[in-house]
Amino acid sequence: MNKRIVASLYKKEIIDILRDKKTMLMMIVVPLVLYPLLFVGTMMLMKSMMNASTEKSYTVALDMTKDPAVMKSIFEEKGNEREYSFEFMTPEAGSSDKEMLEEGLIDVYITESVSDDRPYYNICYMASETDSRTAAGMADDVLSDYRTELTSSIIKEMSLSEDEILKPIKYVYKDYSSNEQNVGYIIGMIVPFLMIVSVLMGALYPAIDTTAGEKERGTLETMLTLPVSNRELITAKFLAVSTIAVGAALLNLFSMGALTVYTADTMNLAGSSSLQAASFIPALFITLLCVATFAMFASAVSLCVCIRAGSFKEAQNLSTPVMIVFMMAGMSTMIPNLELNTVTALIPIVNISLLINSLFRFDYDAGLILMVLVSNIAYSCLAVVFMSEIFAAEDVLFGDPSSSVKLLNRRDDIKKGGMPGIGDLILLFSVLLLVVLFAGGVFVLHLGAPGLMIEQGLIFFCPVAYAWYIKADMKKLFSVKAPTLKGIAGSLLAFGGTWILMMYLASLLTYLFPDQVVQNNNLTEIWEKSSLPIIIISSALFPAICEETAFRGFMLGTLKNRLTPAKAVIITGVLFGVYHMSLLQSITVGVLGILLAYIVSHEKSIFLSIGIHFMNNLAAVLISQYEEEVSAYMPYLDKPWVKVGLFIAAVVMLILGLFILNGRKKEKTAE
Amino acid sequence: MRIEAKGLCKQFSRFVKSDEKNKKQRREDFFAVDHLSLHASAGEILGILGPNGAGKTTLLRMLGGIMKPDEGSVILSDDDGNVISDKNEIKKHIGYISGNTKLYNRFSIREMLMIFGDIYGIPKEECEKRAQEIIDLLDMKKFADNRIGALSTGQTQRAGIARTLMHSPSVYIFDEPTLGLDILSSETIISFMKKERERGCTVLYSTHYMEEAEYLCDRINMIYNGNLIAEGSPAELKKNTKTDNLRDAFRACMKEAANE
Repeated sequence: MNKRIVASLYKKEIIDILRDKKTMLMMIVVPLVLYPLLFVGTMMLMKSMMNASTEKSYTVALDMTKDPAVMKSIFEEKGNEREYSFEFMTPEAGSSDKEMLEEGLIDVYITESVSDDRPYYNICYMASETDSRTAAGMADDVLSDYRTELTSSIIKEMSLSEDEILKPIKYVYKDYSSNEQNVGYIIGMIVPFLMIVSVLMGALYPAIDTTAGEKERGTLETMLTLPVSNRELITAKFLAVSTIAVGAALLNLFSMGALTVYTADTMNLAGSSSLQAASFIPALFITLLCVATFAMFASAVSLCVCIRAGSFKEAQNLSTPVMIVFMMAGMSTMIPNLELNTVTALIPIVNISLLINSLFRFDYDAGLILMVLVSNIAYSCLAVVFMSEIFAAEDVLFGDPSSSVKLLNRRDDIKKGGMPGIGDLILLFSVLLLVVLFAGGVFVLHLGAPGLMIEQGLIFFCPVAYAWYIKADMKKLFSVKAPTLKGIAGSLLAFGGTWILMMYLASLLTYLFPDQVVQNNNLTEIWEKSSLPIIIISSALFPAICEETAFRGFMLGTLKNRLTPAKAVIITGVLFGVYHMSLLQSITVGVLGILLAYIVSHEKSIFLSIGIHFMNNLAAVLISQYEEEVSAYMPYLDKPWVKVGLFIAAVVMLILGLFILNGRKKEKTAE
Repeated sequence: MRIEAKGLCKQFSRFVKSDEKNKKQRREDFFAVDHLSLHASAGEILGILGPNGAGKTTLLRMLGGIMKPDEGSVILSDDDGNVISDKNEIKKHIGYISGNTKLYNRFSIREMLMIFGDIYGIPKEECEKRAQEIIDLLDMKKFADNRIGALSTGQTQRAGIARTLMHSPSVYIFDEPTLGLDILSSETIISFMKKERERGCTVLYSTHYMEEAEYLCDRINMIYNGNLIAEGSPAELKKNTKTDNLRDAFRACMKEAANE
């Protein structure tokens, strides 16, 4: 990649976007004109509504058993204290309260009766009418004031202390949170959502303009006449869109911040004690960093979505679901008990909103902050690399006009024996992720081991059904081929070595990050309840078949068709690790995933990886079930010479295994 | 420089009705360009002629490095025997214009030239000088600093040529450059091609205007269904088909190819 070319393309993109009137309208007019206008408008409306309710006079119909003048004077007296004004009328005999309310002749209708020797009042009103509802509330206030007055006069008559009778116990609130913490709590709830939406808004429009817009205006072909590589083009576009997104987000935040300060000032919301605004400086500073990294993420996602779009319209249609997902994830701060931890710190969008929320509650965890920022940058870079590998600009221009997501085409139009594309892969795995997170979680929680099998069954079923629908070449996609003897020998050796090395890696990681060791409670519970054969079937056999079908089958098959084998193998392994969603497990499982993908890629037989996956899980099950027996051997393993010896043996096994696997390939090419 | 294409191949798919009764459509692959080889030498204008859908644009796109061929290769070579086969290196020597290469409407001609020069790796001072030269050459002083979106068709056409001049290419690829232009604007382009040929540049050029091709081209390649069906100078083609103008020669060639 040539930095000079990226720099000049970046310059071109920025000028191009900034000179687009529509983008500028979205970026400047919306935050700097529309927000204040909307805000001031709403304030004025609310104020006028509040004034109207006290200025207006409400009509009260008094249907009393005795002289209505008594109740009228009570209403006038108590109403005056609260600055309410009423008009009174006495209903004629035989008139219906309901009809009068419905016709709007009166706002509230009060009837009097006697129950348990006490006066009993009905406040009749229509909740669907604003005036009637307001009047009913006022009547409630008046009667309640009247009751309090009566209570104290009764107590006084009995010559008792009113305070003692009415308040046999006393309590007060004592709030230790500072003014800053209170304000921070509210800011932390609102700011993440606003930030996420404004960054996305700032990113989407330029992303559409620079991809689908460039194609529609016919300048993409001109761009292709220049000596520019795909990666340079996409990197420049990504940087330009990120820059604009950061700018838009800052403008938005600035505008909203100014409005908040303004209203707090005018309404004196901050209270009499002064607010130490300076205490928010660290939070604000890190929030700015978040805005920058999140803008990168939002830009990468927007570009990914828009880059294959044939037209502006299609790009806009595609971006709607993205906006919904971003907004939903942005509201995660409102979910009670959802805290920033090592798992949520890796979930895109959610991590940023939770981080900003925790910052404004003065909760700084350097490790988590770093995790959130780094993961966002990592996701963005991955997305950019992915885009430049997958989406060649010339495909966008001259490529297949049918949708890149084959599922969206009619089955009749799909050619037989094809391979799924990257769009298919992304769609399938997004669905799988949801299946595992939600449906799978529910099944496992309620059904235990059978639930685990259903979850795994779904992981098997989705890719196979998808491949069937798009008429993919099943044998090629899922690498259905009997393994060779040499393949079995090579993969067994390589797995043995890798397995031992994984143990070393795991203990090293546990030593480095002791806090990160998390027990999978659901799984432990299931293992405690079930018998050994059930555990083996649900936790070793099913995952081996199902996860291999999805990852080393569908994912590797698709990627291998588009990328170099090395890239396909590494991406499959890494995503397999990420799928396990735990910092430590992900790393070791990622290593195993890479090995499995390597074997399938070389030997073209999914059965090898199913076998190895089964052995790996079986080992984990057996170790946990026979913990005592296993720990009896621990002293032997702790001796330094055994440790070193095992390590060397593992490395030798791995190299030997890979050598056998590689040798086979050379023989083949020689043939 | 000499440009040479060996066995270029590009497949597309299209929808066809499977049969009369059944209205369902089915996809079918076809060769837009079918293992086609050609060459053009320095100081030569090569005309690419063929009916609509013959594969001319696809062929020229592959030659210009805009589209990746499914098979085959394009190489440039100079008199000293230096060979360039890298796509991005080839692009540095090629000036490509077609009706589809639109310009950035939000830039002025001068800004566009500066940015393109920057991408080609020309130093800034040299860029400024070169841009001014091109603006003078194509007589664009009056509108060089106006946004391209506000220019007339003829002015835009000249701006399009200006874009390809920035890196002084030695091979030009023109895909129907005079399509829909008035006589005066076409003459600007035709005289430009002649001038560049005199400078020793190679020009590849597709058109539907037979008189123009007859007048301009040193050699002509006729293309039908992605295949090369006839090759030679206008005089040779007329002689082989026993006709006295290129229009009739074209008709004769196409008729023969369709019969085969």
